Amino acid sequence: MAGPSWNYVLKFIITGDAGVGKSSLLVRLTDQRFLANPDPTLGVEFGSKLITIPEEDNKVVKLQCWDTAGTESFRSITRSYYRGAAGCLLVYDVTSRPSFEHARTWLADVRTHADPHLTCILVGNKSDLSLERRQVSTEEGERWAQEEGLLFVEASAKSGDNVEAAFEKAARDILIKIRRGVFDDDRSPGVKSSNPAGAITLDQRKATGQTCCGS
Amino acid sequence: MEFFQQTYTALRGPTGVQQTPEDTITRLSDRLSPSTLLADRRAAVLSLKGLARAHKQLVGVHALQGLLGIIQNDADVDPDIGRAAIETVVILCDTVDDSYTERDLGLEHTDKLLEDEKTAHKLFALLGDQDHFLRYSACVLLITVLQNRPQRVQAYFLKAPVGPAPVIAVLEGEKEIVGQAIAMLTALIRQSTEIQKILAFDGIFEKLFSVVTREGGLEGQSVVTDALKCVDTLLRFNTSNQSYFRETNLPTLLCRLLFFDPNIQPDQVVPQEFALQFWNEDKATNAGLILEAIGLLLGPKGAGLREGYTFTRLLVEMALASNAPTTVKVKCLRLLPPAAVALLPDMILTPYMPVPDTNGEEWDRLEAATGIDALLELIMHGEYNGQDAVRRQKESVDLRATAVGVFEHFLRDDHVKEAIISGLLPPEDAGIPAHSPVTPLLFGLIIPPNSLLDRSSVSSVQFAAVLFAHLLRHAPYCKDLARKIIPRPLTLLPSSTADGAFFVPADGEPPPPSEPPSKDDSEDAPQNLLAVLTEHLSLAFLQRSRAELAPRDAREADRVICAYLSLLAQWLWEDPRAVREFLEAGGLGVLVEQLNQPSEIDVVVPGLCAFLLGVCYEFNREPGEVTRVTMHSILTRLGADVLVGRMNRMREDERIKVVGPDSWVLPCPTPGPQALDPAFTPMYDGETEIWFDWAFVDFWKANNHTIQRGIVADPDSASSSTAQSGEESILVASLRGVIAKQAAEIEALQNKLKELTATSLATAETAASEASQSAAKSTEERVTLEAALEAERSKRTEVEKEQEDLLVLLDELSSKRAKDKERMKEQGMEVSEDEDDEEEDGEEED
Ligand SMILES: Nc1nc2c(ncn2[C@@H]2O[C@H](COP(=O)(O)OP(=O)(O)OP(=O)(O)O)[C@@H](O)[C@H]2O)c(=O)[nH]1
Ligand SMILES: [Mg+2]
Repeated sequence: MAGPSWNYVLKFIITGDAGVGKSSLLVRLTDQRFLANPDPTLGVEFGSKLITIPEEDNKVVKLQCWDTAGTESFRSITRSYYRGAAGCLLVYDVTSRPSFEHARTWLADVRTHADPHLTCILVGNKSDLSLERRQVSTEEGERWAQEEGLLFVEASAKSGDNVEAAFEKAARDILIKIRRGVFDDDRSPGVKSSNPAGAITLDQRKATGQTCCGS
Repeated sequence: MEFFQQTYTALRGPTGVQQTPEDTITRLSDRLSPSTLLADRRAAVLSLKGLARAHKQLVGVHALQGLLGIIQNDADVDPDIGRAAIETVVILCDTVDDSYTERDLGLEHTDKLLEDEKTAHKLFALLGDQDHFLRYSACVLLITVLQNRPQRVQAYFLKAPVGPAPVIAVLEGEKEIVGQAIAMLTALIRQSTEIQKILAFDGIFEKLFSVVTREGGLEGQSVVTDALKCVDTLLRFNTSNQSYFRETNLPTLLCRLLFFDPNIQPDQVVPQEFALQFWNEDKATNAGLILEAIGLLLGPKGAGLREGYTFTRLLVEMALASNAPTTVKVKCLRLLPPAAVALLPDMILTPYMPVPDTNGEEWDRLEAATGIDALLELIMHGEYNGQDAVRRQKESVDLRATAVGVFEHFLRDDHVKEAIISGLLPPEDAGIPAHSPVTPLLFGLIIPPNSLLDRSSVSSVQFAAVLFAHLLRHAPYCKDLARKIIPRPLTLLPSSTADGAFFVPADGEPPPPSEPPSKDDSEDAPQNLLAVLTEHLSLAFLQRSRAELAPRDAREADRVICAYLSLLAQWLWEDPRAVREFLEAGGLGVLVEQLNQPSEIDVVVPGLCAFLLGVCYEFNREPGEVTRVTMHSILTRLGADVLVGRMNRMREDERIKVVGPDSWVLPCPTPGPQALDPAFTPMYDGETEIWFDWAFVDFWKANNHTIQRGIVADPDSASSSTAQSGEESILVASLRGVIAKQAAEIEALQNKLKELTATSLATAETAASEASQSAAKSTEERVTLEAALEAERSKRTEVEKEQEDLLVLLDELSSKRAKDKERMKEQGMEVSEDEDDEEEDGEEED
């Protein structure tokens, strides 16, 4: 139970339409597994992972990820998480045009509720599926990301392709923002540096008023 | 003055005629409208506040809407009016009142307030206001409405535009408001997993713990307790929050709050500042809550976690080597996960003892001991080496009983049982008269009955019998070994001093029909443990039969007799050799004598004697002096129906009836219709007693029926339906072993299959070219494994056919597995979905 072994804790949220593979991406990240039949997420699920960012001085980052439900009925619950996040994975399914189109709505929602400095990466998931099934090309995804100032990657929770990379890319961007002082000293609610746990310290214990003889 | 002036006018009315309250309230309510000047509105609110308690209904009808409007529109601008309006509404919504109508009014007003989300949202926003008093009153009103209509408020909270931040930020406020804030949060998170998760996300854990540290750590008072209770709610039924919590630094803080070094290494001694702390009632409560949190995080899986070792060590140290209050120690042992018990033998503890008469100010450090030794010591002697054992106070007996539960987990593995029993055997190379080493457990078992009136020893015998039964129950191999235990003879004989008439039967008492144990016997060939126990049973009965025995001593003797009888019943069950030895050591005579002239008041001892006699008859399957035919004629003489009746009556005794898995420490005397000797009074206030543990009661309930049927059976009838002859019972035992092994193998195969499937997936995913190859390979392996599995299955079917009984056993096994899984799920352990799938697949293949 050693003390913190990380330099930063970053809070991430994962959003996007139902069924695009948000939970699958998180499970792939944390457990290196893929579930063929995951249950739809109810509300929000938590998962976490330590990653190292070589480009940023080998800083160790603890990702705390909140995987949200895509289903409309949970919208009001999941929105509560936007505000406190430092990073967002906005996920669509490359084989579902509607999920890509809805990404606009999701982004608008995130922008309304989240911290203005939030880093958002657009993730086209299920890149493992055959070209015939594709409904959104890589170029199109990339173009829209550029227009909106989002990072972009195509990934597959099934093969594991680019999954860690997606999180790393977003984390790196946040670290750069930190380094540049965008969040003047950790002001983003989603970023915490490794000095004492939530600024909690405990005074040295009070004397017990007891002695121990025979020792 | 203006205020009074106006109120006065309002009350008196312009014409000077006294008005009804309704007139006044209507008039005041009219002034709440935004068109009135702010100062006048303020005055009106204050007047209404004064009237609200006495005229709750009228004020509600006329003013509530206006007041809500003021909260909505004026509170930001003028905190004073906002506060007064909120306070008035608090009175209107209050349901903590004696009269029903008032309470209903409170609910009615609450419903009006919650008609839409506006007021609730405003209140959440006001929690973040600059004005201290406004924040405070908003908090109070939220508590009130949360108590009345929790779900509505919770639903509004989830949609509040301000989000959760202000709700958590109030925790940073002044001391008075923090108490209210915690009360509000407690109501807000009740039964809402989603809100619990959101607040965790927004850092509520960190904030609550900084309240704890700010308020003086665990020695802090009710605010600390409330904060920790809130933490408990956030964690208890919320696995997502539990995994979040584990990922923070807070587990470390839990240790530090208890002054435990979170980085302790296995070879390090725990410092005294942890072992000897200052304790008071508040701290015990707060520490209990921290321990609960630790228990939750450990979960049933326990030691597998990153914090597993530290937490386990903390619990063990606090339970077995600290000055913590006994109730806290009980909690530590209860929370110890079964799996963590495996660490006990390797933990080195330094227990402490209070120096007598120093009022807990001074402590002696004792010699280092392993965790398992310290645990056994605790069970056998009680806390602090039995310093207070004679008093049998609830918490100290609870502590020993809970320790038995821990020990039971330790015995899960049959090899451990065997190892412990083997350790009790005489050294092999030491020649014929070699004796078993005297371990605390063995010593407790063979404490000679002439010292049994010592209350501490009685407890030791009881606990020793319970522990020993755990070692033997349904473990034929251990039973075989146990017959080779040769205890060193302790001075059995009574001194011939004045009170030495201990073993002499009271005058007129008929001599026991069995061979009375005599000096010569015990000095002859060394007796094995079973013979010693048989003899002690007989001695205890003799002691019990003394006419002048005081009621308290009689009860002590009964306890000891019950301890021996229950241990023997479990030992002799399914063990014809042990039965033969017991009969040959005079056991039959002892039982028959008791059943010949049973107690008229007590139902337990005669019932147990009948049961044990039945066990002897049922399993008397080895050739020997006392045949089943002989026994049958004795049973007939005693009357089979009478015996069955005795067994049944025992069922109704509270000492059997109220025992449950975790409750076998009973108040003394155990209440119930079978009040024993009316002259009996306990020696100490709050004294407790134990008679039987759950394992025995369970065993007895399961087998009582078999014995009742067996008792009426013919001497040469092979064996009643479920009971077997000696050979059969050995066969069953070995088949049980086979099945257990096969079940384990099947499980191993299934696991391999799962792994393989997983790896095949993994490989398939990483490289397309390798995919087909590896999948094919793994499919191949899978086929082979499935074939093996199939083979195992058919073998199992064969075995099933051989023994009908085993079907039942298997059924139990699988339903238990399913139940376990359910329980695991319930307790938030991960039972991965694939596992389920796999099983379903498996079933389809069948
Ligand atoms: N082929 C392929 N299928 C995937 C991939 N990721 C997810 N899936 C499948 O897509 C389906 C939905 O995945 P989830 O992870 O539950 O989707 P979600 O976004 O969490 O859905 P909600 O929780 O309802 O919002 C499942 O059947 C997954 O097996 C992928 O990368 N490739
Ligand atoms: Mg999901």
